[in-house]
Amino acid sequence: MTDHPVFTLPRRGLAAIALGGLALAAGARPSSAQTGASEALVSTEWLAANLRDPKVRVIEVSVNPGLFERGHIPGATNVSWHRDLVDTVRRDIASREQIQALLRRAGVAEDSTVVIYGDNNNWFAAWGAWVLDIYGVKDVRLLDGGRKKWEAEGRQVSTRPVAQAATTLELPAQPNLALRARLADVLPIAQSQAAEVKLLDIRSPDEYSGRIFAPQGFQELAIRAGHIPGAVNVPWGQAVRPDGTFKSVDELRALYAGVGIDGSKPVIVYCRIGERSSHTWFALKRLLGYQNVRQYDGSWTEYGNAVGVPISNPAGTIWGAT
Amino acid sequence: MSPSKLGWLGAATGVAALVALWLAVGADRGLAFSLILGVAFGWVLQRSRFCFLCILRDAVRDGDPRGLLGLLTALAVGTVGYAVVFGAWLPVPMRPGLPPDAHIGPVSWVLVLAGIAFGIGMTLSGSCVSGHLYRLGEGSLRAPVALIGTGAGFLAGFASWPALYDATIRDAPVVWLPHHLGYAGSLLLSLGVLALLALPLLHRLPAGMTGQAAGLSVPDVLHRVFRQRWPAWLGGIAVGFIGTVAYLRTEPLGVTAALGGVARSAGASLGLLPDRLPGLDTFAGCGTAPDGVLGNAAFVGGMVSASLIAAGLAGQVSFQWPGWGRQMRTLAGGFLLGWGAMLALGCTIGVLLSGTMAAALSGWVFGLATMAAASVTLRLGWDG
Repeated sequence: MTDHPVFTLPRRGLAAIALGGLALAAGARPSSAQTGASEALVSTEWLAANLRDPKVRVIEVSVNPGLFERGHIPGATNVSWHRDLVDTVRRDIASREQIQALLRRAGVAEDSTVVIYGDNNNWFAAWGAWVLDIYGVKDVRLLDGGRKKWEAEGRQVSTRPVAQAATTLELPAQPNLALRARLADVLPIAQSQAAEVKLLDIRSPDEYSGRIFAPQGFQELAIRAGHIPGAVNVPWGQAVRPDGTFKSVDELRALYAGVGIDGSKPVIVYCRIGERSSHTWFALKRLLGYQNVRQYDGSWTEYGNAVGVPISNPAGTIWGAT
Repeated sequence: MSPSKLGWLGAATGVAALVALWLAVGADRGLAFSLILGVAFGWVLQRSRFCFLCILRDAVRDGDPRGLLGLLTALAVGTVGYAVVFGAWLPVPMRPGLPPDAHIGPVSWVLVLAGIAFGIGMTLSGSCVSGHLYRLGEGSLRAPVALIGTGAGFLAGFASWPALYDATIRDAPVVWLPHHLGYAGSLLLSLGVLALLALPLLHRLPAGMTGQAAGLSVPDVLHRVFRQRWPAWLGGIAVGFIGTVAYLRTEPLGVTAALGGVARSAGASLGLLPDRLPGLDTFAGCGTAPDGVLGNAAFVGGMVSASLIAAGLAGQVSFQWPGWGRQMRTLAGGFLLGWGAMLALGCTIGVLLSGTMAAALSGWVFGLATMAAASVTLRLGWDG
């Protein structure tokens, strides 16, 4: 069912008609409440048909320089992960004020539908969705398949800057910190004192087993290898199809149920710096609709450098040993 | 073999190489575009003899400023083109951050030293890196020797990078003129300086430069396009245009990224270079981002193929052995080209052209150092 664009909000009705038979059929079908898929994802077809809708605001979060400038989805606002979505001095997510100013500049109002997309399979776009969810932005969705799919389909891109009329958006005073886990939250799990919480490591099997410190081409930012004791491993890429779109809700449910994650217990996801795990967080929280899913954005680069914490290193790789 | 037979052979080789390259990269839109740009660039360089040393030699030895005016034309056209692109990408230039990928490098005495080394290398080896690349298509036997030297020079450059980075490059200013002057101010300054440089040259144009009065027949036109050299100003306009299009669509013009990337990975795997070159990948330039190597390889491949075809059709292919003594100087000159191009993060294309067009102070500094060093060594007769 989630293979098709699904439309639930009444104001999408007209756009759905414009999309023709398939989309009309999907639009006429009430979405299944337990999946929540319709509130989380938009298809490239849907976005192409709704680009002119003033309620739709598109944001690109790509990590490779020059991509946005050389052609982006028309009307999109460029957001830099390194400058805009994190604190540039402390290691932390961007502040409420920073995000609020950014969204005002991007023309996001209280009733906007914010569609985020980016390169690298939407990793950094998913980080954006996670941060916007923390700060209580009401309607945040990802473009399924991200930049890669939009390009592969040969859809229109633009190099023309669009200055959106600034808004006076006011974000809720309190961020939703229930979406975020800190070192103190994962430590009890590692020490076997919190069996009720499931820990999900979404890095590659070689990072998980401790055979390597970081993926090929990335700096080794942690000086210990391995994973947090008690964590299970489902590499992020298992959540997507070859074209980069998310697998169906049923497939995702089965995938995570295979490692004992079924939404009945709280889940914490982590990776190396928190970008890939944002993608899996999105699948668990927003697509499967599991209640208590947190992302540990400190991830392995914090945990693997923390002094005195328990580590599981099945491969036994020793840092600095030759 | 007669020159015309050699020419046809060269052109046929160029076409075959181009077909092979197209089959290899044609499926990837980005690489295919790099290949096409390389073809255009190689064609223009060969037809208009856009070789930095030849341009300078004409002016220094023969008092003929037309080549230098062509270079200034390229810089003026590219400066305006880049400003148009910048204006769309970064509407407010005063905000922190540099335009993506633009070759805006650190300015320090290392850049001056690199420019001087590159200038001497040009004189000794008989050309700059891009000149050698298009000379490959003309059958030059110095070009391959110089390019081998350039690869070795790149290795030496990478090896000396960490110490020089610690000593000075780390704290060197990265100056982008629009940060300080805005786009209008930066454009006015750049074009003003280019005009001031052009003014004395315009006084020395050779006599009899009036335009063609009578009409041209079709054979005349074909002859002028395919057999005669193009006037330098036309080459300059084309280079400025290609530079702008390259920046808009792929990456700034440069010819050493692939060469430098290969030298870097070879050096690393042979254990000659440290695994990490501090700070290098934080700059935009040639040889800094190993990811860009494939696109640059397609570009350079297209360039060499096109020069084979262009030189072949013009009957400008010939093999001449310059003698061992000269080849040793060519090799040494090539080494200096590589060392200078690595430390400057590009050569006369990647820094002098792409940097100056991008309103980078580094482009101006490298360009002046290179041209000054080459002028002095030409006067000393080191190109003999």
